[in-house]
Amino acid sequence: MKPLLRIIRLLIGADRRAIAIGLLLSIVVLAMGAALLGLSGWFITASAAAGMTGLGTLFNFFAPSAMVRFLALGRTAARYGERLTTHDAVLRALGALRLRLLRGLLAQPYRATERLRAASVLNRVTADVDALDGALLRLVLPGLAGAAVIVLAAALVGWLVHPLVGAWVGAGYLLGPNLVFLAGQRRARRPSREAEAALQATRNRLVEMITAREDLTVYGQIPAARSRTLEAGARHGAARTRLDRIERRTGLALDLIGGGVTAGALGLGAWLAEAGQITPAAAAIGVFVALALAEAIAPIRRALTEIGRMVQAARRVEPALALPAAAHPTTQLEPRPALHLEALGYTPRPGGHSLFAPLSATIAPGETVALTGASGLGKSTILLMAAGALTPSSGRVTLGGTDVATLAPETLHHTLVMVPQRHALIAGTIAENLHLAAPEASEAELWQALEATCLADTIRARGGLEARLGQRGAGLSGGQARRLALARALLRRPAVLLLDEPTEGLDADTAARVLAGMRAALPDAAILIAAHREVERDAATRMLQLRHSPA
Amino acid sequence: MARASTPQGQLTAPSRTGALLSLTAALVWPSQAALIAAVFAGLLSGAPTISPLIAAAEFLALAALRAGLEAAAQRRLARAAEAVIATARHQIVQRESGAASSSSLGNAGALAALATDKLEALRPYLLRYRPARLRSMVMPLAILAIALWYGWAVAVVLLLAGPLIPLFMALVGWAAKEASARQMVEIGQLSDLLIDRLAALFDLRLIGAGPAAIEGFHAASENLRHRTMAVLRIAFLSSTVLELFSALGVAMVAVWVGFALLGEVGWGTWGTPLTPFGGMFLLLLAPEFFQPLRDLAAAWHDKAGAEAVLAELTAYEAEDRPGLPGHDLPATGRPLVGAIAWQGLVTRRGEVLIRYPDAVLAPGARIAITGPSGAGKTTLLRLLAGLDLPSEGTLRVGATALTAAHLPDWRAGLGWMPQAPHFLDRSLRQNIGFGRPLPETVLDQAQLGPVIAALPKGLNTVLGERGAGLSGGEARRVTLARALAAGPRVLLADEPTADLDPDTAAAVTAGLLDFAAAGGTLILATHDPALIARMDQVIALGPEEATP
Repeated sequence: MKPLLRIIRLLIGADRRAIAIGLLLSIVVLAMGAALLGLSGWFITASAAAGMTGLGTLFNFFAPSAMVRFLALGRTAARYGERLTTHDAVLRALGALRLRLLRGLLAQPYRATERLRAASVLNRVTADVDALDGALLRLVLPGLAGAAVIVLAAALVGWLVHPLVGAWVGAGYLLGPNLVFLAGQRRARRPSREAEAALQATRNRLVEMITAREDLTVYGQIPAARSRTLEAGARHGAARTRLDRIERRTGLALDLIGGGVTAGALGLGAWLAEAGQITPAAAAIGVFVALALAEAIAPIRRALTEIGRMVQAARRVEPALALPAAAHPTTQLEPRPALHLEALGYTPRPGGHSLFAPLSATIAPGETVALTGASGLGKSTILLMAAGALTPSSGRVTLGGTDVATLAPETLHHTLVMVPQRHALIAGTIAENLHLAAPEASEAELWQALEATCLADTIRARGGLEARLGQRGAGLSGGQARRLALARALLRRPAVLLLDEPTEGLDADTAARVLAGMRAALPDAAILIAAHREVERDAATRMLQLRHSPA
Repeated sequence: MARASTPQGQLTAPSRTGALLSLTAALVWPSQAALIAAVFAGLLSGAPTISPLIAAAEFLALAALRAGLEAAAQRRLARAAEAVIATARHQIVQRESGAASSSSLGNAGALAALATDKLEALRPYLLRYRPARLRSMVMPLAILAIALWYGWAVAVVLLLAGPLIPLFMALVGWAAKEASARQMVEIGQLSDLLIDRLAALFDLRLIGAGPAAIEGFHAASENLRHRTMAVLRIAFLSSTVLELFSALGVAMVAVWVGFALLGEVGWGTWGTPLTPFGGMFLLLLAPEFFQPLRDLAAAWHDKAGAEAVLAELTAYEAEDRPGLPGHDLPATGRPLVGAIAWQGLVTRRGEVLIRYPDAVLAPGARIAITGPSGAGKTTLLRLLAGLDLPSEGTLRVGATALTAAHLPDWRAGLGWMPQAPHFLDRSLRQNIGFGRPLPETVLDQAQLGPVIAALPKGLNTVLGERGAGLSGGEARRVTLARALAAGPRVLLADEPTADLDPDTAAAVTAGLLDFAAAGGTLILATHDPALIARMDQVIALGPEEATP
């Protein structure tokens, strides 16, 4: 519950004014509904009483009948306003939440995010955040408005009808529904969690079965994969059935509470009227208000089916929101610092051995250094540590004497850029992809970068900078995508450039021209290449050999 | 595949009882209204006919009856809904497990969304919309009949307000439909955009472009909010129109009843003046005239969502997709042994026919399939694995001609190393052995020891999508271990040393040769000269083999 409460506070904080107006309008809607029915009941009974005693002409019927029409129209208008205000405020708040979540995820250590499956992150940013929209719309606002109106109506009934009837209506509608809610939400929590988990499992297992279908077929694993998927689906069905039952029983309890309160108001009212303590018209107010207030407790049923999902979603979303304190002092780096690796070591498991022997090196401006070593030894790891994305287990990385760990990401990436093995292209135009790195870059600068990576002709043939790429840069070959990612890095004009196997998928001749073009574009940059090809080693001015750990 | 009845067909029968029960529950209300009216008529006349206690008890009993009927209705509807969803999901999983090609509906993610979130959209439709529709067809007519019994004034008010509602709703609904279609497109695009940027996000931050990517996402999501609000404005307008008419209807009934009871109006009844009982009864019934219409409007949204899903399901089922050969046949446990041979083998790839030279591969031989890219090396491996069937010619193993029926037995003795393997979101151990115990020798042969040692939880490390956390060379060694794990007789490997550094290439080559040395048949598609040199037999596919 705690994470959910924290997120509710966050959502309310996003736009206090709109939420307050929404709450006020919700109260007005419910109050006018109760007033409309109560007034109508009183009006008719009083009219009948006046008509029967022949006093009809003396009865002031204009005020109540005008009031009835006013309440009818006012309630409709208030309802429209309430819905628009609250929905807009909640959508806004959720947008802000989503953004904060993405920023929070972005601030996590690189290795942690690398192992995050895109699917699970996506779930958190879409499904989980969407589940939270009910927190305000279907939990907090109806709950507060309902309680306020019940208290208000009970007080009015107590004053206009009889304290006993007011107390009965207030107690019945406050105690009963709250007990139902408390008992129900405790019971719904587990099946709700299970349903959510099972649905997720069904989704993931089906995706897996489809993408790996051919491999699984050859290995005879299709029946196992299929039954795993169906098993998750059946688990979801069972949990849903339990949830449906809880929802049904909640509905039954709420219906009985509404019936019971109305029956009590009817019995009490009739008894008091018979005893001559109140008029029949006043007794009618109690009964009609009791009928109308059933609307105020109805949202509990919907809220109960969702609260489990909300609690789960909040539990997943909330930790990712915690932004690390930006404690980095904004250090100014010299314009062309050298990159120093000082006895770097990396131990994947605490207490284990370092992957490689401690590595020390200095890469000076204008130098191209090729980092070599067997695959899997940790070349990419060295680059990630140099880029400040991974904390070294031992040793440190400095830029012109400043430890990269102490630099704010903006300062660091102003000077140092790393191009990882995956090209990280997005759907959109070539220009959009390039502008991600340098939003201000002119068209001429974009072409310059493409020329440097020998991609300009290809792009021209495909329709220029406005040519569109599919998802994840689909439409380009592996080598072309690689060169586009390299061009994008050039646009940031970094003083230190880290390249992880930059010419993978290029023929030797193109690879050599690309590396030469990049060097020409950044004549003063310190370049470190995790190299696994001859051509990458040839382009280097110096080799740096990564060796096995002696242990 | 066997075509079960379509989901639409299943919608009607099992949930009908539920809808009827829900209607019966709604029909209890007139008795409750009559009871209240009788109590007040008695109070007004000064000679109460029912004691307060009995009145309260009777009202409670009727309320309990109504609530009980509604709960029974919900129970049936929930069960029926679950059955429909379970059947549809089962069909999708069953069909996808054996399909040879991807669905035109989209990739794995789209199908998974159909089988999970989208199918769930049917639930509210089945639970709410259908009973609401039945109630909206019966309840207003029943209440209209009661109103007519007492006089024509209330009936006219209800008749005027009632039929105008569907008219206005239809007008507003049309506008909403168009707006929501635009919004659906936008939602789809946002979710694509999101997946796309998330996949790139963590790498983008290494070039300092993380904030720019988030900014782009923010702009798209703001745009979506504006569109969503445009849809909601119209959708809320339609329910506001409904509420307006129902509120005005009730108010007019209340005012007329009040005036008639006062004796201010003499018209509207069939001659006899309105009694206090009749007046109060009519007032209590008036909101129930509109309630089913309001329920229906509230469920309208469910209907729109469900219909889109049903259309998609129908399109999915109507697709004619070939199945993977032999995917669902049981293995007989009789291994296929002997020389592998093919004759007159022809396969079609798009417009191009690929003709393979005849060959006989002795058990235990080492064979390289070579040729320029596009010559059909990978396709030949797929034919050997039974993933594609030849358009002409036969493949034999020993004396047996390989048909779909033999594939399970044949595959039981195959090791398979595709170029781009797919890893499951499970532990490394599961990814290699699929739950079978892993012989230590397999891990040694694939030289996986150092890879496992570097993983945070060793063999129990869960691999990410596409083996995230493993380098290209490590992933290749895992694939080799997977191919060797079940002790195959024949190993098919597609470019096993491509894109590897010399050390890793040597390790993988050594693993493959070990397998052959132990008596296994090794069939490789490769253009690595060092590897070709170690083979016994080379099947060279030339571009001249591919004739249009």
